[in-house]
Amino acid sequence: MYIIKNALQNLVRNRGRNLMIGGIIFVIIVSVVTALMINNTANGVINDYKTRFGSEVSFKPNMQKMNEEARKNAKPGSPITVRRPTIDPGDLIKFGQSDYLKEAIFTAQSKGNSEQLKPIDKEKGGGGGPMVSNNGGEAESLGRQFYHKLLGEDYSDFKDGLRELTEGSRFPENNGECIISEDLLENSGLSIGDTITVTSVLESASSEPGNEDYIDISWELTIVGSYADATDEYNGGMMENAFTNRRNEIITTFETLREKMQDGFFGIEVEAKYYLKNPDMLDAFTEEVYAKGLSTVFDVVTDSASYDAVVGPVEGLKGIAVSFVIIVLTFGGIILALLSSIAIRERKYEIGVLRAMGMKKLKVVAGLWTETLAITILCLILGLGVGMIVAQPVTNVMLDQQITAAESASNNNGLPPGAVVTGGQMGSGPSSNAEPLKDLKVSLDMLTILEIIGIALLLSSVSGIISTRKITKYEPIKILMERN
Amino acid sequence: MTNVLTLNNVSYQYEGAKKNVLKGINAAFERGVVYTIVGKSGAGKSTLLYLISGLDVPTGGEILCGDVSLKEIDRDKYRAENVGVVFQSYNLLTNATAVQNIVLSMHISKSPEKDKTAYAYALLEKVGIDRETADRKILKLSGGEQQRVAIARALAHNPAILIADEPTGNLDKDTESDILNIFKSLAHDENRCVIIVTHSRKVTAIADVVYGIQDGQLSVIKQKKEG
Repeated sequence: MYIIKNALQNLVRNRGRNLMIGGIIFVIIVSVVTALMINNTANGVINDYKTRFGSEVSFKPNMQKMNEEARKNAKPGSPITVRRPTIDPGDLIKFGQSDYLKEAIFTAQSKGNSEQLKPIDKEKGGGGGPMVSNNGGEAESLGRQFYHKLLGEDYSDFKDGLRELTEGSRFPENNGECIISEDLLENSGLSIGDTITVTSVLESASSEPGNEDYIDISWELTIVGSYADATDEYNGGMMENAFTNRRNEIITTFETLREKMQDGFFGIEVEAKYYLKNPDMLDAFTEEVYAKGLSTVFDVVTDSASYDAVVGPVEGLKGIAVSFVIIVLTFGGIILALLSSIAIRERKYEIGVLRAMGMKKLKVVAGLWTETLAITILCLILGLGVGMIVAQPVTNVMLDQQITAAESASNNNGLPPGAVVTGGQMGSGPSSNAEPLKDLKVSLDMLTILEIIGIALLLSSVSGIISTRKITKYEPIKILMERN
Repeated sequence: MTNVLTLNNVSYQYEGAKKNVLKGINAAFERGVVYTIVGKSGAGKSTLLYLISGLDVPTGGEILCGDVSLKEIDRDKYRAENVGVVFQSYNLLTNATAVQNIVLSMHISKSPEKDKTAYAYALLEKVGIDRETADRKILKLSGGEQQRVAIARALAHNPAILIADEPTGNLDKDTESDILNIFKSLAHDENRCVIIVTHSRKVTAIADVVYGIQDGQLSVIKQKKEG
């Protein structure tokens, strides 16, 4: 007990030296608190986004591989035709049966017409058929035109809050049920419970231009609900017609569309989204789907573009914070070690006196370590307070700089002005409209506090170890004889 | 009377030195006696003092505290509990007050006194340091006052042996007399063994036994007759 009491008295007795050591420890702690708060908050954000973007997996055709495949299969003298590759829906479902997946969501899409439905913007014409450019450069539809899109199990806009079921409506649960927008329902003079017939065609994969091979298909659909639609009618697209107008979409079950699919015929597209249990399982899942028969012209990708766009600046910030902690701890530790060494030399006489009075080496060390610990605890309390105040403004400034740097890099694209990009891979580097994370609310959590306490103890231990090493070398007789 | 301290054939050689500074010294020290050790500079007086105070160990022979060799006991404990040393340059904690020096010494020696501060003030008063002076830092005290504090500190744990190295070297005549009276009283009234290393004739005058040290040998020069 007297060791602690004497150590605390020594803090006051040696104010000058202790203020200097305390000042350095304080600066180190404030810097480390700020950097760790940024680092840990950034870690949380990065892990969150990694899970969100990194866990969603899709298959994207690789243009380079498609070209290679087309060249390989081309007949001598014939033009090389690159066809968009498809994945058999059965395969997509098979790929979804994986231990690496948390969830697999399948959606399907087709096009159709219905005599019972009066499409919105019908006067703008239909779409969905083959297109050709006229002399004026405008696209013109050829052949069959469609006014409606059939969506199987696509409820993403409902999840995003852009669509909402109206009263008395429900989502399609059984095959042959559908929902349509409130506008389309009213425009068509229909009611919930009415049945509509939707017709469409499937085109043979072996169709040649001018010699198309079609199969007519149709669905009998019962309207089980309508929804208020707040989506952008044309999604900002260039082509405005009844087919592209989102109010004319008909949403049904995935199976309703799937049961009309036929081998060797296009017209119903299936999309699958897979959600990994853990983003780290991507490689294993990729290996598994290729083994199950996925064509190698497809790449297994996550939404890395959105991830990079949103989290890139935060990752930059985290990198700076980590580097900062390392630099501060290295240089701070060295300075503290030197100061402790000097302080022990300066106190050599005092140590000699205490040892001559019979105080054991261990108790002398304990006394000196208690002094440093007391200074460290004081600095820790002050440092945590000041660090908490300083961390947010520092984060804001640093994040702004990172965003500016990221935007500047994105604008330059690493290419000189006027350069033309050729080649490249379709789907492998999707562009993203995702906005970077502009606000990072840093906070002091328990983990950060524990880390800082650990670092503070480490700093005081550096001093303690140096004291111990020095003191064990000192013999009181030598110190006192030198002094005398 | 039993010996409180016995030197058996004690020798000492400094590291790197060719000759022993102390050569097979034999001596015995008793309670209730004032001893002085005199000799020329470099004769080995201070070396002997460091050995008997447990700050250093003999390179030959042994020192017994009572019946126990210093080789067999913890020297830190011996210094803290059995012996009190008044150094020539006092060796006090200069940033601490006089009373803090005494209290700390009592803590180190695990003194059983409950109110250590009150005991320290009383001890300081006994050596002529009033309360106001006791609360001043050592650096603010005169040489004589520091010497008194050093004596008080040496007595704080009630040791059987009190060793002093040139205790009056820096003092004026009045203070010197006061300090010597204290030493005499400690030996004769409180039955302690007082060993003083000195050059001063005035100090040797109060001694019951005067040892001379020459050529590494210790010999009795003068001994007061009992009664």
